[in-house]
Amino acid sequence: MSDNQIDEKRRKFLTTVTSVVGAAGAGLAATPFVKSMEPDASVQAASTTTVDIGAIGPGEQVTVKWQDKPVFIVNRTPEMLATLKKVTPELLDPDNKLPQQPPYCNNMYRSRKPEWFVMVGVCTHLCCTPTFKPQQGSVNPKWLGGYHCPCHGSFYDLSGRVFKDVPAPRNMAIPEYEFTDNDTKIKITSLYPKSKLC
Amino acid sequence: MKGLTDWINDRLPFRELAREHLTEYYAPKNFNIWYVFGSLALLVLVIQIVSGYFLLIHYQPNEDAAFDSVQTIMFDVKWGWVLRYTHTTGASMFFIVVYLHMFRGLMYGSYRKPRELLWIIGFIIYLTLMAEAYLGYVLPFGNMSFWGGKVITSIIEAVPYVGDWLGSLARGGFGIGTPTLNRFMGMHVVLVPLVLIALVAVHVLALHKVGSNNPDGIEIKEHPGPDGKPLDGIPFHPFYTVKDIFGTCVFLTAFCAIVLYAPTMNGLFIELANYTPANPLKTPPDITPAWYLAPFYAMLRSVPNKLGGIGALGLAVILPFFLPWLDRNPVKSVRYRPVYLGMLAVLVISVFVLGWIGMQPASPALLLPGRIFLGLYLLFFLTLPVVSHFEPTKQVPQRVNMS
Amino acid sequence: MKYAAALIALTCIMSAAVVQAQEAQVSLKSPHYSFDRQTLIRGAKLFVDRCLTCHTLKYLRYSRVGEDLGLSKAQVKNMLMAPANAEYHAGMINTMRPGDATKWLGAAPPDLTLEARYRGTDWIYTYLKSFYVDSSRPSGWNNHVFPHVAMPDVLAMLGGERDRQGKLIKQGSLNQEQFDQVVADLTAWLQYTSDPSKIQRMSLGPWVIGFLVTLSILTYLLKRVYWRAVH
Repeated sequence: MSDNQIDEKRRKFLTTVTSVVGAAGAGLAATPFVKSMEPDASVQAASTTTVDIGAIGPGEQVTVKWQDKPVFIVNRTPEMLATLKKVTPELLDPDNKLPQQPPYCNNMYRSRKPEWFVMVGVCTHLCCTPTFKPQQGSVNPKWLGGYHCPCHGSFYDLSGRVFKDVPAPRNMAIPEYEFTDNDTKIKITSLYPKSKLC
Repeated sequence: MKGLTDWINDRLPFRELAREHLTEYYAPKNFNIWYVFGSLALLVLVIQIVSGYFLLIHYQPNEDAAFDSVQTIMFDVKWGWVLRYTHTTGASMFFIVVYLHMFRGLMYGSYRKPRELLWIIGFIIYLTLMAEAYLGYVLPFGNMSFWGGKVITSIIEAVPYVGDWLGSLARGGFGIGTPTLNRFMGMHVVLVPLVLIALVAVHVLALHKVGSNNPDGIEIKEHPGPDGKPLDGIPFHPFYTVKDIFGTCVFLTAFCAIVLYAPTMNGLFIELANYTPANPLKTPPDITPAWYLAPFYAMLRSVPNKLGGIGALGLAVILPFFLPWLDRNPVKSVRYRPVYLGMLAVLVISVFVLGWIGMQPASPALLLPGRIFLGLYLLFFLTLPVVSHFEPTKQVPQRVNMS
Repeated sequence: MKYAAALIALTCIMSAAVVQAQEAQVSLKSPHYSFDRQTLIRGAKLFVDRCLTCHTLKYLRYSRVGEDLGLSKAQVKNMLMAPANAEYHAGMINTMRPGDATKWLGAAPPDLTLEARYRGTDWIYTYLKSFYVDSSRPSGWNNHVFPHVAMPDVLAMLGGERDRQGKLIKQGSLNQEQFDQVVADLTAWLQYTSDPSKIQRMSLGPWVIGFLVTLSILTYLLKRVYWRAVH
């Protein structure tokens, strides 16, 4: 009788220990399989995009794909740059208080060089791609040039700074980028960590 | 918690199934190591499906991208090498386990009445497995994948009248290319695994209907105790669940040792000639199949006539189906049949030698030994009806031996 | 039974002998190296200096090499990223265009990432040591292991030039032992490129097997305690 009782206790004990160790093993074994679903090294390789800016004429915008997102590159004319001071009173965050740009772009032009504008073309409201509207008066009679988002009507200036009283809460994000190849190319490398897209 | 399980069990037959197939399914108590391979085969099936799924996520069934996608798995995907080596090791282990499982059946007469259908279903599973392995082997699209694919599809074309049409269905094009990879992937990932799962389910059902054989070849149901349960039987759960779990751990140790330390097994599990991309213009110097298909390849090559070779192969594959009726001796287990033991030994040696021959480059010197051992293989089955009728046997015990 | 055994043995010996006779080519020598970090770094540098101009390692990314060999991004850039189009996260490619390669050399030099698996390390080691001067060939070189190969002996400056019989006709900058070491390093590097997972497998191995052995012991004890009830 006591033999059976001892057996029962030993059975229970060994079953518990084995189950715990076995479960731990199963979890460890599952880890490589789950991790294999994470983006692989070839995705890492595709993480930068280099654009030849030679063909972009004054006042023109080019859209390139970077990490599956649209990036706008604009060759801004002096007239376009002049509008930036004029619209300042109507902007929500004209002084870049929110960290939506790398430190070297923390200026009115939100760029390394005033004429070359690089921005992630994602509306900070709900992630649509805003339309480039550089023509003065094209959106309304007082329009000086900028972006209009067709989804819910947000407006931005020619530095991607958001207007007051529109759905979007932040200026559009400026990515980390550099000029390469004797300033003939722009290489978009990563998102500024503190910035938020949408 | 108990309320929840009761609620579920009032609406689904889990409790009854557990009783019928686990806690009140009685199996002979004298199972030895040869009886672990059935549950191991099921384990390997699960391993292949899981590792296969994770490989599928990264694989590309396109003739220009397939080989590179496998390298992406090996070089770029996190832990990709675990996925790939698990799947290749699993493929070879599947056959090792299944061959040992089948050999147990041959030794102890597990194919005899009332288990004829069990044996037949099992053999169908084996043939399906060979098809699955062949289809999977073409997918990585190395040069061996390509030319191996070509060899088998040209065998299909040997079928009279409809051969060419069948070959075009198999290939989807003039040669082995993207259409072939696409349909082979569909078959390898969806169709054949579903067939395998269904066959395995029916296989287990057939087993549970009649109960398992045992190393002494005596029917435990013939000696019931006062409670109606076989005296020499024990409930599958907990006794064989706990024993199979131990067997599983030992198996997994060997499995992981291979994956970690010798994944190619020096070219046996992953053929080294496949480490170069498919080239329709350049046949490898030796096209040999994977080791588990090698005995049949040797049989094919031993008969130079195309249709004759296929005929010999066909015979070699069809004869085992009739084993339950070819063996006429009332004694089941090789423990009490010294003559049958000798015949089995010859069969095993023949299969090993044929396997070795099948892995060598083609050579006229191998024709004679190939034919001899092909002959011995076929003679095992063809002479069994007569030999088993007259063979002397030892005294079979009434109750099982626990050793 | 005895006759069967004898027949089988005879057949096996016969077949083995015939198969051997057919393979009467160059016998391959085995390199001696320890598969460690220093060897692989030496091999990597040798490869980048002497082989990468013609042969790519397209599946192997520089970043991966850095991770596996414990090199920082700067070290990888300085030591290994030689071709003009080298990118840290991209594979080890070169600037040779396939059309040019075929024009200059007669055949495009193959990518070598998987070569050590395809040919075997013995083959690669022996091949690199088996070049000889042959004026009848367009490149001026021939090879015992790979007859009529289009590749010239790129290591001749190190190992010297030999004639068909193997006699040294021009001394290289290294002696035999040093040259064998160089070739062994290159072979080790190619063994690594053909399966970078080997490093991780070797380090994980003892832990995984140790765990499984422990689990096997536990499950055996569990089985034994239940089976006490069976007689």
